[in-house]
Amino acid sequence: MMKQIALYGKGGIGKSTTSANLSAALSFKGLNVLQIGCDPKRDSTRMLMHGSFIPTVMDLVRERGDTAVGLEDVVYTGFNGVRCVEAGGPEPGVGCAGRGIIATFQLLEKFGALSGDVIVYDVLGDVVCGGFAMPMREGYAQEIYLVTSGELMSLYAANNICKAIRRLSQRKKSTCRLAGVICNAKNQPREEELVGEFARRVNSALVQFIPHDRVVQLAELHKQTVIEYAPDSAQAERYRTLASKVMENVTFTIPTPLEIDELESLALEYL
Amino acid sequence: MSSNPLPSNTSRLGGCTLTGALSVTTSVSDSISIVHGPKGCSHHNFSLLHTIALENNRLNLPSVYSSGLLESEIIFGGEAALERAIAACASSSPKCIFVLSTCVAETIGDDVFSVCSMDWGVPVIPVPTAGFLGGAFQNGVLNALSTLSDGVSPGSPDGTVNIIGEKNLEFEVEENYTEVLRLLSALGLSVNLRFIHQISYDEIPQLARASFNVLRDKEVVPLGDHLKARFGMPYLESFPVGLAGTLRFLEMAADTCGVSYHAAVQDERAVQEELLADFSDLSGARIVLPPDGVSAGDGAVIREVVTALGMKIADSGLCVPMPLSPPVGTSGIRRMLHRWRRMIRA
Repeated sequence: MMKQIALYGKGGIGKSTTSANLSAALSFKGLNVLQIGCDPKRDSTRMLMHGSFIPTVMDLVRERGDTAVGLEDVVYTGFNGVRCVEAGGPEPGVGCAGRGIIATFQLLEKFGALSGDVIVYDVLGDVVCGGFAMPMREGYAQEIYLVTSGELMSLYAANNICKAIRRLSQRKKSTCRLAGVICNAKNQPREEELVGEFARRVNSALVQFIPHDRVVQLAELHKQTVIEYAPDSAQAERYRTLASKVMENVTFTIPTPLEIDELESLALEYL
Repeated sequence: MSSNPLPSNTSRLGGCTLTGALSVTTSVSDSISIVHGPKGCSHHNFSLLHTIALENNRLNLPSVYSSGLLESEIIFGGEAALERAIAACASSSPKCIFVLSTCVAETIGDDVFSVCSMDWGVPVIPVPTAGFLGGAFQNGVLNALSTLSDGVSPGSPDGTVNIIGEKNLEFEVEENYTEVLRLLSALGLSVNLRFIHQISYDEIPQLARASFNVLRDKEVVPLGDHLKARFGMPYLESFPVGLAGTLRFLEMAADTCGVSYHAAVQDERAVQEELLADFSDLSGARIVLPPDGVSAGDGAVIREVVTALGMKIADSGLCVPMPLSPPVGTSGIRRMLHRWRRMIRA
């Protein structure tokens, strides 16, 4: 059965890095992986594509009209066979990016592109509107992973996403659940404990702690995932562990988001 | 939002801001109204306007043009589509172009005002009309009228009268105007401008010349106040309604411009007596008011007429047709009684 997972989290927290390394690690398990970048910034799959920005679905639709766009125009094969799609969106400051995500999904459905063993949806910073909740809707990602550091603003964003998951999970036939929290650390003191406790309080669990490691930057400068650039590094091993845990995970919950004062006092406890 | 979701309420009193604004802008005969939205937003409005125009023996098609937004414009922004629409309309050299926004254009944040302010060679006038912002039909009417009046410079009053905010979509719009004109003429007053009903763009500045305004009904009062503040024009807040109300209208109009009303009122009283005599055969008839009710204004007129003719309002029996808005003047009551008589005798 096809597994569909989505990574959500604050802008700049490392969703794309985590997604790309996760996809790469999954591909080495012999799995057919599709990664879909759901952000107008379009840089989700760049490390899998060795630094090139692939044409986005929305760019192609804008240039040619949706009838003249086909499956082969939007799906690009990257590192180790990982298939890559970028949704793209309007120019910054105009139009409706959320509707762009919905249109992209409809087009991918039409092409039958949503196939393989695992689909990884890499979604922008926050669930700003209905369009960006599209990956959580029925038929798409059933398992949502939150990517966060131990910084308060990052936890705050993760908590907001919990609200969206709770809301959507209450819909009839909804299969969208919180699958766990990934700590992409900033190497703050007691960060793993803090994020672990946050995960527990929102009725979930910390699935993987990924410490800050310079090899991530080095890999990026070489336009590669860590899995490709430094396969023997400890960081690569952590991504492989994450991939195994994601495949084995069977604990999916309806989250219990925190009030802001709870969140703040939680952060204070782990100063 | 309408707090009462009953169908009779939403269908009678709700309506779309866009439709209200179009009922005004399409009545500027040498203009084009662009509806910046999906085609459907203009299509059903076009049909409605066309139907009403035919009913009033106007054979020209309503001048409505759609920017034709599709999903791609919603995603990538619709301003370029609006520019194309304005350019296409400007090439046929209308006297002015109105741009009316729609729900989806406002939702995605298209900057309609800035597109309109580009140099198009003809005046391009934006009217905010997104229905979801909470207004209804009448808000659209008022938005369009006040937008148009804002472009008018003050003038010096010449003793004439403006007719403000006619219901361009009511079937009896011409009959109602004719009745008001008859009454004003009886006082020796003449009409300066029908703002806005079938006038040309160049006539709009004449608005400032009149000495006072007659509003179509109380819904137009916000605009009446606005014009009073801008041009110092007093106003009568409604077309005449009811027998006594029509006589009172003559008195108020005369007082407003300092002429005598005694002869006109005496003549009108005679017209009303003749009316009641013409329908004296209805004396004793029992009628039922429509089950979906009548407005407070309607109710007062109906009771006044029923009493004057010696008719009775019953709980069950024959339901007589009621106009959507109260009958205007003595002539409006005559037309209503004709319809009642047909129903009672049928």
